[in-house]
Amino acid sequence: MHDMRFTIPGQDLNREPFAVKIPDFQKKSEVMITDKGYKCRITNIVPLSGLERLFQLRIIDPLEREVFNFRPGQFLMLEVPGYGEAPISISSSTSNHEFIELCIRKAGHVTSALFEARQGAFVSIRGPFGTAFPMAEMQGHNVLLIAGGLGIAPMRAPLFWINDHRDKYRDVFLLYGAKEPSQMLFTYQFEEWKKVSHVQMSTIVENPDESWTGRSGMITALLDEFTFDPKETYAIVCGPPVMFKFVCSHLDRLGIPMNRMFVSLERRMHCGMGKCCRCMVGSTFTCLDGPVFDYWSVMNLKEAI
Amino acid sequence: MNHLGFEMEKVKIGSFDFTCCEGCQLQLANKESTLPDFLALLDIRNFREISSERLDDYDIALVEGSITRPDEIERLKAIRGKAKVLIAFGTCACFGGVNSLKNRIPQEEAIREVYDNKAVETMPSMKISDIVQVDYSIPGCPVSKDEVEQILVGIVTRSQVSLPTYPVCVDCKQQLNTCLFDLGELCLGPITRAGCNAVCTTGKTACLGCRGPAEELNMPAFLELIKEKGLSLEDLHEKLAFYNAFEPLATDET
Amino acid sequence: MIYKVISKGEFKAFIDALVQNNSSFGPRKVDTGSNGKPIYQFMPVKSVDEIEFDYTVTHSSAKHFFLPYRDELSHFNFSDGNWEQEIRYEAPPIILIGLRPCDINAVNILDDVMLHGAYPSPYYLARRKNNFIIGMDHLPLPDCFCHSMNRHTVNHGFNLFCSDIGDSYYLSINSSKAFNFLKEFKIEEPTYEDNCSLIERRKNIKNSFETKIEVSGLPCFLDIEFDSPIWQKWGDKCLSCGSCAMVCPTCYCYSVEERFDVDLKGSTRQNHLYSCNLVDFAQVTGGHNFRPKTGDRLKYRYYHHYRGFAANDNQQICVGCNRCGRACLADINPKDVINDLRLERESCMICVLPSPDKT
Repeated sequence: MHDMRFTIPGQDLNREPFAVKIPDFQKKSEVMITDKGYKCRITNIVPLSGLERLFQLRIIDPLEREVFNFRPGQFLMLEVPGYGEAPISISSSTSNHEFIELCIRKAGHVTSALFEARQGAFVSIRGPFGTAFPMAEMQGHNVLLIAGGLGIAPMRAPLFWINDHRDKYRDVFLLYGAKEPSQMLFTYQFEEWKKVSHVQMSTIVENPDESWTGRSGMITALLDEFTFDPKETYAIVCGPPVMFKFVCSHLDRLGIPMNRMFVSLERRMHCGMGKCCRCMVGSTFTCLDGPVFDYWSVMNLKEAI
Repeated sequence: MNHLGFEMEKVKIGSFDFTCCEGCQLQLANKESTLPDFLALLDIRNFREISSERLDDYDIALVEGSITRPDEIERLKAIRGKAKVLIAFGTCACFGGVNSLKNRIPQEEAIREVYDNKAVETMPSMKISDIVQVDYSIPGCPVSKDEVEQILVGIVTRSQVSLPTYPVCVDCKQQLNTCLFDLGELCLGPITRAGCNAVCTTGKTACLGCRGPAEELNMPAFLELIKEKGLSLEDLHEKLAFYNAFEPLATDET
Repeated sequence: MIYKVISKGEFKAFIDALVQNNSSFGPRKVDTGSNGKPIYQFMPVKSVDEIEFDYTVTHSSAKHFFLPYRDELSHFNFSDGNWEQEIRYEAPPIILIGLRPCDINAVNILDDVMLHGAYPSPYYLARRKNNFIIGMDHLPLPDCFCHSMNRHTVNHGFNLFCSDIGDSYYLSINSSKAFNFLKEFKIEEPTYEDNCSLIERRKNIKNSFETKIEVSGLPCFLDIEFDSPIWQKWGDKCLSCGSCAMVCPTCYCYSVEERFDVDLKGSTRQNHLYSCNLVDFAQVTGGHNFRPKTGDRLKYRYYHHYRGFAANDNQQICVGCNRCGRACLADINPKDVINDLRLERESCMICVLPSPDKT
C-alpha cells in the first residue's frame, strides 16, 4: 500500500503556482486588448444620405478616452450589445480625443441595429486595429487621395491629419466619385477641405441627374484636371474592390510607384486580432497586416481583389 | 432591454396547424427552464397548445404541418393575409414531411390502406411555400426549442435570424460521436443542415435529413461515397424521400 | 528535464491516484467500427482501468480541451438604459492522459498561435495553464506521417512523457508538479539498459513509418500551384462538411456570434470553432463570398496547414496525425493531395529540381 499522505486534493492543481500568471481581468491594461471594449455614448447622429450616417461616439471613461489613440486608416470593432460586432474604419481626426466619428452604411444586422439606436445610447468599441496610411513617409511629397462611394469614410482621417500638418506636405488632391449625386457624402465639408486644408478637389458621378452640374463618368477622368509629378506623389485609394484595379493600374501607367499607392481592403473580421482567420487574404490577415496595404503587396496577394 | 434607447415590443403571435402531429407546437411548451421568459416575449393571440385565446389579430403566424386538403389552402391563404410574418414551422411545413410519403402511391390506394375506403377528401401533400410566401423556415422533426427561441428572439429584437449553412457533421463531430459511416450505416448528416445539435446521431441513429439540405450540396460526391462504402442506393432513396426534403435523385443515378 | 523509470504496475497506481481525485480525460474505447477495429476518444475517466493505455489513436484530437467548440467570450448585462460587460472564464484543472507526441506538438503550435503576437488569448491561456499533460509514445499507424512533418518527437509542452520500454515506462519529467506527484511512488534512476531500451524504442518508432510525405519546399510549391486544376479535382470530391477541421488538432479558425438571452436581460458573445471548408467562411456582409468554390476552400485549408500564415511565422501547422484523412468520408487525405500536387509539378523537370530522396 502506498503512503496515502499523498492525497491529490491536497496537491490540487490549483494550488501549485502556474508558470505563467493567468491574466487578471480586473487590470484594465490586460483586458482591453482582447475582448473588453471601451464603453461609448452615441453623442450625435448626422444623416449623410439615405443609407449612410455619421455616428459620433464619446468614450465614457476619461482615462480610456485619453488612452484611445489611433492612426489614419485603422479600424475598430464596433459592438452593439446584443447584436454583435462589425469592423468600421475610423473617420475622425487622430488629434481629436473628445469623440470618434464613424461613417456607417446600413448593411448588416449590427449596423441596422445601430441605425435604430437613439442619441445617448451606449455602445462599445474595441481597437484600434490594423495598419495605417504611412503619413510620415508621405511628408515632402504630393498626396493624391482617390475615394469612391463609401471610400470617403477612411479618407477623412488622413485629410484631418494633412490639415493638422499642412506645411509638411506638398500639393494634396482629393478625387471623389459616387454612383449618384445623392450618394455623395460630406458635401458640407468640401469648402472646408478646399479653403482651409488647401486641398485641390474635384468630384464626379457615374449616373448624373438633373441636379448635377459637375462631371460624370469614371473617377480616373478627374486625373486630367490636375498636374503633379507622379514620381513625387503618394496615392491613397479607397472604395469598392472593383475600383482598386482600374484606378491603381491607371496610376501605375502615370508613373506612381506601386509601393506608394495604398489601398484599404475589406473583409468580414470576427476577432480583429489575427486569430479567427475569417479575414485572411492569401496568407495574410486583413486585420493585422491590413486593412491598409500598398498596391504592390495587394498585387502579390492571392485572391485579394 | 432598452440600452439602445428603444423598448422591445412583444410580438403578437398565432400558431396554426395543418396536416401534422402538432409535435412541433408541443415542443414550444417544453424546456421549462426558459418557458416563462420565452412566453414573456410573445403576446399569444391564438395557440391551441398554450392558450385558450382565439384572437384574429397577429403579426407572426407559426404554421405547422403540410397541406393535404383543399379547405386547408383557403385557411392558409387567410392566415397569410393577416400575418405580417409567416413562419413555416417544422419539417412538414417546410418540406411536406412524412405526410409526403403518400405522394408516392396513388391516392385511392392510400385512402384504401389508411381509411379502409371511407370517403376522405385528400390530395397530395404540399409544403407551405407551394401555396403562400414564407418569410422564415424553421425545419426539424420536431423543431429544436433552442433554435425556435433564438429565431423568435431575433425577430423580436430585429437581430440576426439565420440557420446554420453547414451540415450536421460539424455538430456531430463536436459531440465526439463515432461517425455512423464507420459503423456501416448510411447517414444523411453530411448533406443535412445543422442546428439540431446532432441529436439523432448522438443517439446512434442515422440522420434522415429532417432539416433539409445544407447550403451548397455536393450530391455527386455524396453518391460516390455511398457507392464507395458499398451502401445500398435503395436505402439512400428511401432516406432522401422520407421527409421529402431533398430533390429526388436523377433517375440515371438509380 | 529529469528522467526516471517506473514499472508499469506502479505507473498504474500513480495514474489511478491522479484520476480518482481530479477531473481527468484519457483514451477510452467508445465503439467498434464495422471493420472490427476499436474506435477511441479522449473521454472522462474515473479509474485507471477505464484507460486504454495501448490505444492506437483517438478519432478526435485533444484540441477542444484548450479551444472548446463553443466558448463564451463575454456577457453583456442590460440594465435600465445601460449595460455592463462581464468577462468570465472558468478553467477547472484537468488531467489529460495518453496524448501522443503529435498531439502535444499540436498544442505547442496552438500556443504559438494563441499566445504569441500582439493579442494573446486569455481564454486559451487560462485553460492551457490549468492542465496536466501526460504524454505517451506509440508505434505509428500505417497512415501516420508525423515523421514527415518532424512532429514525431516532442521535448516540451507536457508535464510528463512516458516511453514504453517493455515492463516499465521511461519517464521524461518536465514539471515540478509531476516530479512532486511522483515522489510518492516508486521510481528509479534509469540504468544503462534502460537508456539503451529507450534509444531502441525511439529507433523502432522512427523506422516504423510507412507513410511519407515530402513537405520540404512545399510553401513555394503551394504558391506556384495556386491556380492548379488539382484543387478543383479534389474540391469536386469534398462534401464541405467540416469534419476534417473538427477532428484536426491544430485547426483553430472560428466565428464570433452574439445572441440575446431569452429573457432579453443580457446577451452573450461566443466563439464557435468553424472550418474554412464550410460554405460561408469567407462570406462578407452583403453576401459576397470570396471563396465560393469547394476547391478554393479546400485549397485554403491546405494553405494554412502546409504553407503557414504570415502572422504565425509561416509555420506549417500540420502535425501529421492524419485524423482529417481518417475522418474524411470523401477519402481526401494530405498524402494523396500533396503527392498529386507534387507529381504534377515535378514531372516538369525544367523548372523545378527533383527533391532529394529522403532516407
